[in-house]
Amino acid sequence: MTLTATRPAAARSDRRAAPPRRRGGKWALYTLLSVISLLTLGPFIAMIIVALSPRGEPTVPAQWPDSLTFDNITQVLNASGFAEWTLNSFVYSAVSVVVILLTSSMAGYAFAKKRFPGRDTMLWTFLATMMVPFQATLIPLYVLVSDFGGADTFWGLIVPTLANSQAVFLMRQFILGLPDELFDAAKVDGASELRVYWTIVVPLTKPILATLGVFVFLWHWNDFLWPLVISQSDATRTLTVGLTVLKTEELQWATLMSSAAVSAVPCLLVFFLLQRYLVNSIAMTGLK
Amino acid sequence: MRHRLRDPITGLLFVLPMLVLFLIFKIFPTLGVAGMSLTNWNIGGEWDFVGADNYARLVNDANFWSSLRVTLVYAAIYVPLVVLVSLATALLLNSVVFLRGLFRGILFLPYVTSFVFAGLIWRWIYEFDGLVNGVLAKLDLAPVAFMERSELVLPALALVSCWKGFGYSMLILLAGLKAIPGSYLEAARVDGAGPWQRFRSITLPLLKPALFFVLVIETIASFQVFDTIYVMTGGGPAKASYTLIYGIFERGFRFWEFGYAATWGMVLFAVILIISLIQRRFVGRGNT
Repeated sequence: MTLTATRPAAARSDRRAAPPRRRGGKWALYTLLSVISLLTLGPFIAMIIVALSPRGEPTVPAQWPDSLTFDNITQVLNASGFAEWTLNSFVYSAVSVVVILLTSSMAGYAFAKKRFPGRDTMLWTFLATMMVPFQATLIPLYVLVSDFGGADTFWGLIVPTLANSQAVFLMRQFILGLPDELFDAAKVDGASELRVYWTIVVPLTKPILATLGVFVFLWHWNDFLWPLVISQSDATRTLTVGLTVLKTEELQWATLMSSAAVSAVPCLLVFFLLQRYLVNSIAMTGLK
Repeated sequence: MRHRLRDPITGLLFVLPMLVLFLIFKIFPTLGVAGMSLTNWNIGGEWDFVGADNYARLVNDANFWSSLRVTLVYAAIYVPLVVLVSLATALLLNSVVFLRGLFRGILFLPYVTSFVFAGLIWRWIYEFDGLVNGVLAKLDLAPVAFMERSELVLPALALVSCWKGFGYSMLILLAGLKAIPGSYLEAARVDGAGPWQRFRSITLPLLKPALFFVLVIETIASFQVFDTIYVMTGGGPAKASYTLIYGIFERGFRFWEFGYAATWGMVLFAVILIISLIQRRFVGRGNT
């Protein structure tokens, strides 16, 4: 008993002896981390204070506001177009999430577990398109979509953004790791292909589908360049584009900060509800 | 294996939806941008084949060379900045245990917001009556017009992107740090290696793959910056923040010269392709 008690104690004291001035070091680390955290949060805090300051009255950084008000927020929520842009952003993001999850998991399943002519060529081509920056293909994509009457329509906004090679690859990699026996057994039992997909592939890939769903939501909610060129009226304009239109009509910072704050609410909700999940999945999947 | 023989048709059917999306919205525009760069395509949709005329014009376009220079200077500021910040924060997070999750969450927070959101807030921060100048005034220093001075606009924009995006690279590097066996560092410490020596001879070499991955994705990201420039500077002052992508956008959607804009797109395509090929060459195996 004395033996087991002294051994770890000795080891511990050894470790403590090796690096001197450990305690001061920890304090320095925490101080540094706190400073960096404050710098990171600073813009958010300042935004909220300005958003809640009465319009036209002095506020940060000159002085602390005398009172706080939700007037700016309600004004933004009632501003012409704002509700419509928000709804459009939701449609853009939600439809994209559903369709991309469906098509990429189907394609990922086929690429991982099926043999068909041209499979490797297709896979290689999908991979190669990842190197093509979206902005380089912006012009032909716009011409193509608008020639088919897609300018300022929902299909024109959404459909071109559904071709997502990152999603296909992620799903393929994940499904590749599922044992073949599962699928063979289901087929021996006479299950149809759709049934195999729906009762085996989908349930087993739920964790990765959830991760992918969160990313697709953020990508689309925060997307700017494509909605900017393809949406021409409030009917299809998304929130990110709306914020830049609002900018030209309203020069009050309180209004601008309020609209920015409101626009980020869904992202911040995703963050607060799924932070641990998001953080862990980034290193695992490499999604960006 | 036997069941695989029935696979070709079902495999193709499962890939079909994504394949169609890809052919129309990725492959076709990718080929299209090369084709369009050889035409004088305009807003009316009429075009003639003009051979290499657009490229000849590009080579003699001072605007183009200036935008290429701006893009490269921006990358030269942004990439080291974001890699250093994410490496420093990852190292800090890796050396604390208590409250690590909280700090990690705070530092990652801006990543979930949009570049438009970041651009709006930081436009105010850099404004005359904004946060930075407010602090400068408190210190009795003269105000600085960050967005109106050519030599300050790119560092100021790089800082915004860094604030918005470093959390992602930080997480990648943090995962890389966690993968380094503690016993290596422990052994070095017992042998009397100081913190700097341990970092240089153990941490840094073992972190190389993750660092290289971060370097490549951030380089690509730096060439794709657009949203913050659109919101904050509009390419100014005097085209000091007029990047390649801003050029594509302006040629295409302000002057409606689709053919010539596609030529700018080809340059962006080539630049990113080269970076991607370097990535493939060095970290093709295993990362992500």
